[in-house]
Amino acid sequence: MDSLSAATAESFHLLFSGDAALWVIIFTSFSVSVRAILFAVPFAFVVAFLMAHLRYPGRRAMIAAFSAMQSIPAVVVGLTVYLVFSRSGPLGDLKLLFTHSSMIIGQILLSFPLLVALSHATFQAADRRVWETSVTLGAKPYRAFLTLMHEVRFGLIAALVAGFGRIIAEVGCSMMVGGNILGYTRNIPTAIALETTKGEFAQAIALGIVLLAMALLLNGLLVFFQGRGVMSS
Amino acid sequence: MSEIIHYRALRKTVHGRLLLDIESLEIHDHACVALSGRNGAGKSTLLRIVAGLETPDSVTAIFNGKTMSWRRACQQMRTHVIYLHQQPYLFDCSVTDNIAYGLRRQGLTIKEISGKVSKALEWAGISHLQMRNARELSGGERQRVAFARARILSPRVLLLDEPTTNMDGEGREQAYRMIKRLKDDGVSIVLATHEYSSVAHLCDTHLSLESGRLMTQSIETVNGERKIIPYG
Repeated sequence: MDSLSAATAESFHLLFSGDAALWVIIFTSFSVSVRAILFAVPFAFVVAFLMAHLRYPGRRAMIAAFSAMQSIPAVVVGLTVYLVFSRSGPLGDLKLLFTHSSMIIGQILLSFPLLVALSHATFQAADRRVWETSVTLGAKPYRAFLTLMHEVRFGLIAALVAGFGRIIAEVGCSMMVGGNILGYTRNIPTAIALETTKGEFAQAIALGIVLLAMALLLNGLLVFFQGRGVMSS
Repeated sequence: MSEIIHYRALRKTVHGRLLLDIESLEIHDHACVALSGRNGAGKSTLLRIVAGLETPDSVTAIFNGKTMSWRRACQQMRTHVIYLHQQPYLFDCSVTDNIAYGLRRQGLTIKEISGKVSKALEWAGISHLQMRNARELSGGERQRVAFARARILSPRVLLLDEPTTNMDGEGREQAYRMIKRLKDDGVSIVLATHEYSSVAHLCDTHLSLESGRLMTQSIETVNGERKIIPYG
């Protein structure tokens, strides 16, 4: 119990004393996940919009597929990306394994189905008069799309927050394709996993506090934006 | 009155049922047409096809004297024809931004837009609402914003889908006054309605949708009042 208390006290010291190693890990985590979500979101919103507003063969199968893909374990995505980018894999020549790029690709694949599924539900529930009013007032399709996104922005932000929450805390994919390299690809979840196995609880607890604070903040934002969405609909 | 748009052989099937089977539909300059029919007769569908929001099974369109496909006609008529929903949708922003929405798509300067919006607010009697969020307005106020937002684009044709549904007497009168002013401004109006008599003073022609076909009906003066005589 004493050692746990000491580790907790040490973790706060690490956090607030500006420990360089700790903050590099935190920065890596956010740098990779923010870039992944920024790449994924535009494509996800467009795909979700097309699925909600167009009628084409295979549409229902596509919706079901994205819904099912939300539950694919992170390690399976990690394994797939690993095999693709490993030296003997089809894209091995790109030498992306154990880099930020491979971690970003893995996180894009992880967040994409969730982003599509949640934003599709948002677009599906949107009032069709938004699109029609935009068009009848002379807006071209891309402008009408931007107007629609503005009208359902709270639902879309909620999807974005949920997607970010999914990747910032995942360990399996980052561990496999990032390699957990200190000062380069080590992020919060992989560092927690490693430090815990080493018995170095102080850094693990400090990073856990950051992750917990992030989870609380994201969930708070999610509740806020979902509430705004309901109120404005 | 010159012809703006003429549709020939307009057909539309919905869930296997032939909803619209119209030989000819003409919309003329400065005309106000009442369009009536039972619930489900296809009034809204017809207006939405004219507005380019719904696709017909087949139709030939003649716009400005040229025969073209429906899709081509829709492209040509963009901003000339404006459709207003039964309950107009206002975007989640200020009244001013709502009214300026269409103008911003036309590449005008901020000064030009501002001047036109001020005039439109004044025209609709809603200058005092300009900074309010459009979502906070009452039903009558919303409709005035929607009329101002349409009028500012100087459309040739305004398609109104039962604009007075769910309105009290005062709201209806206010809506009719605005429609009359739009007509006086030279806008052609097609007005889908159940209330024949209450729009008789506004309209020149009455079209009735019966079993998918369009019947022209007369507007007669009875005891000094203009009344639409229902078909049959």
